[in-house]
Amino acid sequence: MKNNRRLKWLAGPYAVWAAGFIIIPLLMIVYYAFTSQDNGGFTLANFSSVFNGSTMKALGLSILLAVVSTLICLILAYPLAMILSEMSMSSTSFIVLIFILPMWMNFLLRTFAWQTLLEKNGVINTLLSLINLPPLDIINTPSAIILGMVYNFLPFMVLPIYNVLIKIDKDVINAARDLGANAVQTFVHVTLPLTVPGIISGITMVLIPSLTTFVISDLLGGGKILLIGNMIEQQFKQLNNWNVGSAMSMVLLIFVVITMVIEGKYDKDGEGTAF
Amino acid sequence: MKKLLKRIYMALIVVLLYAPILTLVVLSFNSSKSRAKWGGFTTKWYASLFDSQEIMGALYTTLIISLLAALLATVIGTLGALGMQHMRSKTRSAFMGVTNIPMLNSEIVMGVSLMLLFIMGRVSLGFGTILIAHITFNIPYVILSVMPKLKQTSRYTYEAALDLGATPFYAFRKTILPDIMPGIFSGFLLAFTMSLDDFVVTYFTKGPGVDTLSTKIYSEVRKGIKPEIYALSTLMFLTVLILLMLINLTPSKIDEKELIKDAKFLEKYGRKRLFTKRIVMGRLLPGMLVLVLTIGGVYYGSGGSFTEDKTVVVYNWGEYIDPEVLEMFEEETGIHVIYEEFETNEIMYPKIKAGAVSYDVVCPSDYMIRKMIDNDLLQPINFDHIPNISNIGKQYMETSEQFDPGNQYSIPYCWGTVGILYNKTMVDEPITSWKILWESKYKDNILMQDSVRDAFMVGLKYQGYSLNSTNIQELQEAEQLLENQKPLVQAYVVDQVRDKMIGNEAALGVIYSGEAIYTQKENPDLEYVVPDEGSNVWIDSWVIPKDAKHVKNAELFLNFLCRPDIALMNFDYITYSTPNEAARELIEDPEIRNSQIAFPDESILERCETYSYLGPEAEEIYSQLWNQVKGS
Amino acid sequence: MKDKLIDLVNISKSYDGVTILDEMNLYIRENEFLTLLGPSGCGKTTTLRIMGGFENPDHGRVFFNGNDITDLPPNKRQLNTVFQKYALFPHMSIAENIAFGLKIKGKTQAYINDKIKYALKLVNLDGYENRYPGILSGGQQQRIAIARAIVNEPKVLLLDEPLGALDLKLRQSMQYELMRLKEELGITFVYVTHDQEEALTMSDTIVVMNQGYIQQIGTPESIYNEPQNAFVADFIGDSNIIDAIMIRDKQVKILGVPFDCVDVGFGSNKPVDVVIRPEDVELVKPKNGQITGRVTSLIFKGVHYEMDVEANGYSWLVHSTRAAQVGAEVGLYVEPENIQIMKKPESEDEEATAVEE
Repeated sequence: MKNNRRLKWLAGPYAVWAAGFIIIPLLMIVYYAFTSQDNGGFTLANFSSVFNGSTMKALGLSILLAVVSTLICLILAYPLAMILSEMSMSSTSFIVLIFILPMWMNFLLRTFAWQTLLEKNGVINTLLSLINLPPLDIINTPSAIILGMVYNFLPFMVLPIYNVLIKIDKDVINAARDLGANAVQTFVHVTLPLTVPGIISGITMVLIPSLTTFVISDLLGGGKILLIGNMIEQQFKQLNNWNVGSAMSMVLLIFVVITMVIEGKYDKDGEGTAF
Repeated sequence: MKKLLKRIYMALIVVLLYAPILTLVVLSFNSSKSRAKWGGFTTKWYASLFDSQEIMGALYTTLIISLLAALLATVIGTLGALGMQHMRSKTRSAFMGVTNIPMLNSEIVMGVSLMLLFIMGRVSLGFGTILIAHITFNIPYVILSVMPKLKQTSRYTYEAALDLGATPFYAFRKTILPDIMPGIFSGFLLAFTMSLDDFVVTYFTKGPGVDTLSTKIYSEVRKGIKPEIYALSTLMFLTVLILLMLINLTPSKIDEKELIKDAKFLEKYGRKRLFTKRIVMGRLLPGMLVLVLTIGGVYYGSGGSFTEDKTVVVYNWGEYIDPEVLEMFEEETGIHVIYEEFETNEIMYPKIKAGAVSYDVVCPSDYMIRKMIDNDLLQPINFDHIPNISNIGKQYMETSEQFDPGNQYSIPYCWGTVGILYNKTMVDEPITSWKILWESKYKDNILMQDSVRDAFMVGLKYQGYSLNSTNIQELQEAEQLLENQKPLVQAYVVDQVRDKMIGNEAALGVIYSGEAIYTQKENPDLEYVVPDEGSNVWIDSWVIPKDAKHVKNAELFLNFLCRPDIALMNFDYITYSTPNEAARELIEDPEIRNSQIAFPDESILERCETYSYLGPEAEEIYSQLWNQVKGS
Repeated sequence: MKDKLIDLVNISKSYDGVTILDEMNLYIRENEFLTLLGPSGCGKTTTLRIMGGFENPDHGRVFFNGNDITDLPPNKRQLNTVFQKYALFPHMSIAENIAFGLKIKGKTQAYINDKIKYALKLVNLDGYENRYPGILSGGQQQRIAIARAIVNEPKVLLLDEPLGALDLKLRQSMQYELMRLKEELGITFVYVTHDQEEALTMSDTIVVMNQGYIQQIGTPESIYNEPQNAFVADFIGDSNIIDAIMIRDKQVKILGVPFDCVDVGFGSNKPVDVVIRPEDVELVKPKNGQITGRVTSLIFKGVHYEMDVEANGYSWLVHSTRAAQVGAEVGLYVEPENIQIMKKPESEDEEATAVEE
């Protein structure tokens, strides 16, 4: 079958589609980023608005929040993936239950519902006061945004790690135990190194959406916290300055490219481990 | 012990993931419209859901787009995967690289890039552009689902089939296709789900009149979500839950790995899995199709038959018209209303200016109307076709002259003041000044408006300056004040001030007078005041953009809105003061007819100014300073 | 008691109500090459995994050198395992793989390096230290897996179908290599296989298992020559298993013809099974045979010819260095000591009953 090169033309429609709607649009961003809003000529001025105080501040905060929420996701997801991988048969339906099913409730609504939960007189604080605990005061703060990110992106961390874990030969783990390693040593020397590709894939799948979101900060930050995503959204939807917006998007693209390179290094089959 | 810990851990994760969902389900049974208050159990939202053309329309659009996008992506993606299988490995990895872009790229960058492409290509944003965007991000999911299956298929069976005399297509259909079918199917399901849940890409590629559930919800989030949306989400969620339960009804606790060791059980197990698959293929897919088509056919099908010239495209503030009024208008005139909402003048303006969308009537505020006139975006209204204009009070037409000299372009619709809404149980001092918004004892108890002019109005007025100041020093002072105030502010919101004040979430909130009347009804502890330094008095008026395509229909629509009974219906619904004198006469409750909030007396109005259009330079300064506040 | 290195006492194990092992008793002597032999699903791998500590028995105890190790985790047992699919650590080099157990035990680097050299030499893979498992052939990986296990100087090496994934030629040479290793190391081997030839070649003791029960324990010769029931006879080599009637001691009626035999104690006029190996059936002139028949097929197998002979309603399998043409009438003759008499199982259950030594 491999020698039948004629069949490669089956990918024709996809090639056209990818060129038209993946590659060219990205070039449009580059084009707009380097042209002036007024006369359409070449300029670097758009980037100077990117490197001014407030945009850099937003970018810095975005990176911080993204890194923190990625770490939290990793810490939460790894044990979960391990538990799931041990469950074997019934885990498939459990994964559907916890990750796929919630997607049928709109993502904006799900995130928005955290407002009702987190508000000063919200559900969580009402429950806390019932058992005489101090209230949780995180709504409209970066912590609330991190919570929203972890909540939304946790599945993207769990699935790649889980998929790597279930592919590990159980006897490789047994072999480590057999050779005298205790549970912790086995984890550190064998399980963990073997799941690195899954971890890397999970990190990229969580880091980029967290870094670039504007919805979560919008819904849970009380309009006080601007992330780089909010800045871009403002440029396109309110200030109507597509050129500066494109310049900001290009900065994000740099991060995307970096993660793609890292991901590509660990994912040699080019298949992705997420699905 | 270890097992227990694992159980607890999983339970915690499930709680984390399901707490918001449970919240939404509970809210769908809340008889109060405000999410901040439990008003008792009701199922009325489920009933009114099915009457809401708007929501059901959005649902149908969502389902149709998801289904079409998933189907087309499945076809293109499967062909793509097959083709890539036959490429030289270098070409193939280049293709894989491109395939990875939409997966790893940020949604916002993808949405923005497609939007730029469509605008450059002069493709008007709408259903088609959303569909293209969705197909684009769906294809990689399909390819990545099909590829691994394709790698597992044996080329020998395919060759064996050819050897036995099958045509290549027949051989493919009989040997390879069955092997990769699970991959194709899961790719399709994944794509469908992704499409369904997408917001960001849709948000940037959508046009007027097309709303998916996501974009509908996003525009509603700021002004409080209609409870019908909760009801719809609950229904969708339950439907899928039940479908999944049907699929997983074959309970089996037998350990797979142990079974594989024991060949004699393999047979039994294999049969079980086949059975499950057959249910998925045989029931879930047709089930979904039927769901889409029935819902769509019944509730949306009627809406699709309108001809181009029998429509009017309306662009209005959120929650700014009684939906019944729209239905009455459609019934009386046979003109279909395409209705879209904006949250701030600043969001509305670029859309009109870009012209990617042609609206027939828009309802901007005073200063924005001036700006639109100056930028030649409006056309004069032919008042001969709008006899009901006589119902509008003279003084409002005069005030309008400030931004619309000669009353050529606009028809006043609503008006009011901006002031402070406060909770009497949390604020015991009398409020006379904007100063109270800088009192540190109200830290985290202050809600500010999330729009440039309203925010700067507060700062400028507090300092005794004109709210139309273009003096850079005054503006910088105001900026500094707002920056100082930011740590005290709980949130910058637009219409959410209403829900938050009703729910006792904050002590003080800057709000429009019209909202104050509604909030007082829901929470009697709330009181509205216009500070002594003065404030903004505003008028929102209807205008017809220059590139309107249905001017006749627009005039009919405006004349309809000026009818006293219609104006009264709108007043009752939105509770903002009406300039329609004839309608005010019809208000039955004297307390409201003479309310100081709804119809403030001269002494208050004398302290207030309308916004005027400041010109592009000043505007640029305003928005930069505002960015500085928000980014600080 | 002294020479019982490993002692399994009343071991039962089941998965979800399916019994894999039922009240099994088995001991392994020091320095023995013991093979667990049986078809897949017979419980042989489970037995091995219980010794290794990867499975816990539902009932019963495991003793090692007289100490109860039933609840001891695998890392505390003085056994090492060579896994079916080698289970090398893919992210470590060959040297790191071999060093793994020693590093865990905190041995010095010099000691570890010596051991790696020694082990690689032992398995004929000197110079492979810095390669990675992924690029090795199956046989090489197999030998690394053995090297990785033996550097820890275990008392017992457990091998779970270690040659199953190799081709015939390689498998045969590895069989000799394993026997050589066993000689050099002087330790106990417990070997799991479903390949009867492999078992016969290498073992000191063979344990034949089926459906969770031990069918027979013995030396390769006794297992082959004196199968105790039809299962063992059928599983080990080719054989003619024929319904017969024990007329009295030392005489059995096979297909209506009385034969002399050497077995006693089966009663008189009792139905029994007889086992006759195909190479024990001699082709003679029709008049010299105890029974006559007609050749229905003839295949040349290299060392011998394989023939089917239809005689008295039974198709006899005959191996002989002389060929008789298809259609020829031949006589069959069996020496009395080559007729093996077995009791007929009285019920389904008994078919798989444990046989105590």
